Amino acid sequence: MDEEKMEKLKIQLQQLLNEAHEFVQKIPPTQINVAIAVVLSTIVLFLIIRLFKRKSSNTIVLTGLSGSGKTVLFYQLRDGSSHLGTVTSMEPNEGTFVLHSELTKNGKVKPVHVVDVPGHSRLRPKLDEFLSQAAGIVFVVDAVEFLPNVRAASEYLYDLLTKASVVKKKIPLLLLCNKVDKVTAHTKDFIRKQLEKEIDKLRASRTALSSADISNEYTLGVPGEAFAFHQCSNKITVAEASGLTSDISQLEQFIREYVKA
Amino acid sequence: MLEQLLIFTRGGLILWTCKELGNALRGSPIDTLIRSCLLEERSGAASYNYDAPGASYTLKWTFHNELSLVFVAVYQRILHLLYVDDLLSMIKQEFSAIYDPKRTSYDDFDDIFQQLKKEAEARAEEMKKSKQLGKPVNNNLGRKQGQVQNGSVDGGSKKKSGGESGNDGGDGDKSRGRPLENGNLRNNHVGKGEVPAMVNANGKENGASKTGAFDVNKLQKLRSKAAKKTETVVNKVPKGEPNKKITKKNRVWDDSPKESKLDFTDPVSENGEQNISVVAADEGESMMDKEEIISSDSESEEEETGKDSNVDSKKKGWFSSMFQSIAGKANLQKSDLEPALKALKDGLMTKNVAEEIAEKLCESVAASLEGKRLASFTRISSTVQAAMEEALVRILTPRRSIDILRDVHAAKEQGKPYVVVFVGVNGVGKSTNLAKVAYWLLQHNVNVMMAACDTFRSGAVEQLRTHARRLQIPIFEKGYEKDPAIVAKEAIQEASRNGSDVVLVDTAGRMQDNEPLMRALSKLIYVNSPDLVLFVGEALVGNDAVDQLSKFNQKLGDLSPSPDPRLIDGILLTKFDTIDDKVGAALSMVYISGAPVMFVGCGQSYTDLKKLNVKSIVKTLLK
Repeated sequence: MDEEKMEKLKIQLQQLLNEAHEFVQKIPPTQINVAIAVVLSTIVLFLIIRLFKRKSSNTIVLTGLSGSGKTVLFYQLRDGSSHLGTVTSMEPNEGTFVLHSELTKNGKVKPVHVVDVPGHSRLRPKLDEFLSQAAGIVFVVDAVEFLPNVRAASEYLYDLLTKASVVKKKIPLLLLCNKVDKVTAHTKDFIRKQLEKEIDKLRASRTALSSADISNEYTLGVPGEAFAFHQCSNKITVAEASGLTSDISQLEQFIREYVKA
Repeated sequence: MLEQLLIFTRGGLILWTCKELGNALRGSPIDTLIRSCLLEERSGAASYNYDAPGASYTLKWTFHNELSLVFVAVYQRILHLLYVDDLLSMIKQEFSAIYDPKRTSYDDFDDIFQQLKKEAEARAEEMKKSKQLGKPVNNNLGRKQGQVQNGSVDGGSKKKSGGESGNDGGDGDKSRGRPLENGNLRNNHVGKGEVPAMVNANGKENGASKTGAFDVNKLQKLRSKAAKKTETVVNKVPKGEPNKKITKKNRVWDDSPKESKLDFTDPVSENGEQNISVVAADEGESMMDKEEIISSDSESEEEETGKDSNVDSKKKGWFSSMFQSIAGKANLQKSDLEPALKALKDGLMTKNVAEEIAEKLCESVAASLEGKRLASFTRISSTVQAAMEEALVRILTPRRSIDILRDVHAAKEQGKPYVVVFVGVNGVGKSTNLAKVAYWLLQHNVNVMMAACDTFRSGAVEQLRTHARRLQIPIFEKGYEKDPAIVAKEAIQEASRNGSDVVLVDTAGRMQDNEPLMRALSKLIYVNSPDLVLFVGEALVGNDAVDQLSKFNQKLGDLSPSPDPRLIDGILLTKFDTIDDKVGAALSMVYISGAPVMFVGCGQSYTDLKKLNVKSIVKTLLK
């Protein structure tokens, strides 16, 4: 019985196919060509749009150690003031907005998508979610309490610079020395040099470990030479800022540079 | 009087703070609260105590999970304000009505706050008056009944022992300035002594408010007990002295002739390397350096429901939860979370997580999910599971870097040897794992030296000597019955003389309750200030892990003569190969102490030393 049913189904399918074949043949060839052309062009259009979208992503990621002032900077960028103050963030702050200082500019200004990732070490895994779409990374360093935290900061920075996504896409990095309004703040050159020294040491101890310990597959800099930021394939710049006094012009410059208006 | 009341978002922006209570807070209690309590998954605790030089505060908080808001109230610890919980929940309600994600200033909330505060204070006054009336009656009732939550004693003591249980929760973060004045010390001692008693007495009832009910009689009794304890310790020491002078006579069991020779050690091995050709142990790459291949099997969601034992309620629950998941229920209430959390808690306990820890974790997850809106097409159990997974990853992710090699290099630059002390109870595998760590360090071209400070157990020095001979590293030993602190000190001096980079100090196993031994241990740590205090715990341990670690930390903190005591910096988990998937001990230990797991011992040969793989542990715990 089943075999008969199968046979019947087969015959029916065959019939359907034949009918479809005839139908297609009946249509004049120009129509078919047009239809195919339309379908192909929409596909191509989609691909192009996707490609463009990926190229000009407008995400800036603010990261750094806990207490360096990322949340203050985020609100400065958005609203021009840090309101009543901040506490240690437990979740990332995200927002797509036009930079506050550019609200008064004439003409069309493209909004920027800024993400402030918590710096607490237990929340580090959250950074990876946003790195894939980042057009630029801002690594915020506390210029006042720099020396006690230099090891932690350099380890974080080292991990960041050796991540596959950062190296492959050559995401530009801005080393932002925050809190320079304070008298005891270090200069950006000092901070840069110290970080380079520490990363150099880290490089030595990390490469001494075998392959399994290197979670990131890339080594930094040129072996044999002391590490310097200009050796990295992605562009690294250093700037100063003060979150509390709204002195963030260099930061905004960086954002404008990498998020095309 | 409240010191401060803050409303801030989970992202860190302060939305509103009471301007009238303008006193600046000493220290940074809010940041400390976030770092050591809320991010440590202790948000289920009732309150948090913070000590800064010059002030001691208690903090209470509540969440609004849907809007991602946190409400925190700070007040002086000596004041027992009764209206704080009430006030917080009222404020939460009012504020969520006027909250708008775009707004960042809420000045109009000041008036509302004043109003609410007056109401709350008035209510508290009323309750106090009714308690005053009820108090003489209740004092006559037996102490058993006093433990059950009732109006009178609850009020005054609730906050205090809420503070105690919060203190217990805050145990993990010991580095906060602990007051070491005598009165306070005893107070803390009492607190610790009484809370475990309460937990035992109450059994399953573990809500913080319920453990809060005690009466003043018990407090006084425990105070006198603590006083007696310190006295007996003082008495023990002088008694110990005369005993040492009397030498031990050999016990004669029967008429057999006395054994002349009791020492059966091979005279050849005593002399060392001469006659035996020793091959340096080279067993290949230590497993620390090998990458662990985790087989990722896709979890099927349907397997969760299989855990539920009751078939009937399962069917009904599944259907209603399916319906709710499609509809997207309004707000998650605690009662909705209960069954899912209970199932998770039981699951955790079958994986050998200590009961107390599982309970606290579930409370913390409940606190973070309460009031949240269920997304459509998700079941409650899957939301709870996801939240629990995130919490577990958060706890097990180390708070600070566990890169020991980096620390060793840093110490090498400074010219000092890097000192690691292995502590733990008896029989967990300190000496074995010490040898494994030495082998691993040797593979990374580090000069290691062992220090045999276990001067108590017979054969301990010989055991280390054998390991040292196989690994061909120097060992510093002074035999038995010497003061371990002095031996360690001399070992470190010897290491800096002969150029060793790392000194691994082996200590004798000791029970966490043994006061004189713990005192000796804290003296060793104080005298030598090691770079790393490694607590060795076995993965087979169950609920005792909580007790071991908390008592070790507490004793190290209390008995140390320095004002800034060293506590446990890291955990070495041993005998991991004996548990198949009952990996809960790792979670209990990390949760209770806050210290990261630095090594995992998984066998008895030199290469059996691994790193903790957080993702695989979390997956195993939630399977």
